[in-house]
Amino acid sequence: MFEVFRITLKGIFRDRVFHGILVAAVLLPLVPSVSQLSMRQVTELSITLSLSLISFILLLLSVFLGGTSLWKDIDRRYTFSVLSLPISRTRFLLGRFLGLAAFLLLAALVLGVVACVVVSITAGNYPPDRPVVWGNVFAAIVFDALKYILLVAAAVALSTVSTSFFLPVFGTIATMLVGSASQQVYEYVQSPAGEKLTPLLRQCANALYYVLPNFSAFDLKVNAIYGVPLSGQGTLLTVLYFAVYVAMLLLVATVLFSRREMK
Amino acid sequence: MNAIEIAGLSKTYTGKKWTRVDALKNLSLEVAQGEIFGFLGPNGAGKSTTIKTLLGLIRPSSGSARLMGEDIGTAAARKHVGYLPENPAFYDYLNAEEYLLFVGRSFGMPEGLLGQRCAEVLQRLQLWDARKRPMRSYSKGMVQRVGIAQVLIHDPEVYILDEPMSGLDPVGRALVKEIMTELKQRGKCVFFSTHIVSDVESVCDRVGIITKGELRSVERVEAVLERGVVGYQLTLKDREGSRELYVPREQLTTTVGELAVQGVEITLLEPRRKSLEDFFLEIVTGTAV
Ligand SMILES: Nc1ncnc2c1ncn2[C@@H]1O[C@H](COP(=O)(O)OP(=O)(O)OP(=O)(O)O)[C@@H](O)[C@H]1O
Ligand SMILES: [Mg+2]
Repeated sequence: MFEVFRITLKGIFRDRVFHGILVAAVLLPLVPSVSQLSMRQVTELSITLSLSLISFILLLLSVFLGGTSLWKDIDRRYTFSVLSLPISRTRFLLGRFLGLAAFLLLAALVLGVVACVVVSITAGNYPPDRPVVWGNVFAAIVFDALKYILLVAAAVALSTVSTSFFLPVFGTIATMLVGSASQQVYEYVQSPAGEKLTPLLRQCANALYYVLPNFSAFDLKVNAIYGVPLSGQGTLLTVLYFAVYVAMLLLVATVLFSRREMK
Repeated sequence: MNAIEIAGLSKTYTGKKWTRVDALKNLSLEVAQGEIFGFLGPNGAGKSTTIKTLLGLIRPSSGSARLMGEDIGTAAARKHVGYLPENPAFYDYLNAEEYLLFVGRSFGMPEGLLGQRCAEVLQRLQLWDARKRPMRSYSKGMVQRVGIAQVLIHDPEVYILDEPMSGLDPVGRALVKEIMTELKQRGKCVFFSTHIVSDVESVCDRVGIITKGELRSVERVEAVLERGVVGYQLTLKDREGSRELYVPREQLTTTVGELAVQGVEITLLEPRRKSLEDFFLEIVTGTAV
């Protein structure tokens, strides 16, 4: 498993897609100058911009690396040579996933450090009303990374059944959209306006709410930008949700992948 | 214990719109340790299907098989095997050395031994100079050589090779044959598929001929060649000088007797045989050649 983990990381670092996405990171140092466009909340804006950019880069990485990793193995017939080694398919899949997850965490960490430098430069030039709560900025980035790791788990699960890159890539993007919207839809359904919907529709929406991923809890931007204290219980629940959801996705993925024939 | 034991293996592919292909029908076969077995058959005969099933890449529709006593489809069975896929593809962002190390570690080889074996096989397959270049830049034959190298690196008991000679130059083919013979001498089992009859003739102990998913014949190569003798070319020498004479197989004994009586010396006796190729064509086309 560790060997698969290792070559997964090696593969990502040598991947052209990764190099391409890396280019987006050069925008980060531009954040201070762009932030000056805001008259009053320069530091707040720099945090917002940095976090959004990091989130966007992580999204690209998880869709294009996570969504294509396993598909490429199958499409380019690497699976014949690799799955005939004495590595079980479960271990292979877990090695792949852990490699991708570790890479996302690493990328988030590196980008996070750059962002902190950028934000502290801005804060030095334009002292904010409230001091920046670095712990919250850090937490926001880590939870963002967790969100994308969950997304990669979904991408891997989709890859195990798909024969083209279409399902994993667009399925991952769809998962992202659904995951970001599910909380709002749920709240709408629960609201007085939602009362007008047919009961069947409301039940469906409720059922889907518990099945589909929900990314809203991973969003700690507000806490980072305005220094709102984090709720300990809330973050703990989010971590728990993450662990359970990822475990279920991987369980499904390993079952499907073990049954798959390499024709 | 036989190295490879296949019992009643069948495989039916179900494609789109419920199309069904019976790629393999009730195949039973045993290959011993220390034996080179040639798996011969025309395109689409079911050779690769058999091999992929042995490696657990596809599931048999029915039947079972064991590798060194372990049921196929388990990591334990694959632990004994070096497998070369047909038209192999390896992670092209790695170089040959990195890939071989990856394979060796997957087999749990200790690092010291692995480094040493890695250098040996790279040199043996003439990949030493290219070992640090990503495999993306390799030619077809070089990739095939990596395929042979990754089969050898962990020194397994069983070698399952799907068209090992494909894409290799004559020197490479000779090298592969030499390697196979060496493995046999060290008591290893080599099972390889091919559609080139002469490859079988020169290295194999036994040959199995498969067409349309059915195993038609399993024979000792020597026996086929012996049985295939149709006559003899004699070179004779007497007072008038030397001359040649063709004698049909069944008349050899009487002819030799007569020649002895006449005081003619036989300087050379060469068998004239139907080749393995003829034998193969006979089975595949179903008619005598
Ligand atoms: N994935 C698949 N789906 C459907 N049919 C398949 C599939 N793979 C192989 N077949 C069919 O199974 C039969 C045997 O194929 P196989 O690849 O085992 O042949 P082969 O003996 O290896 O041929 P070759 O010498 O060309 O490599 C063929 O009729 C082929 O069309
Ligand atoms: Mg084949």
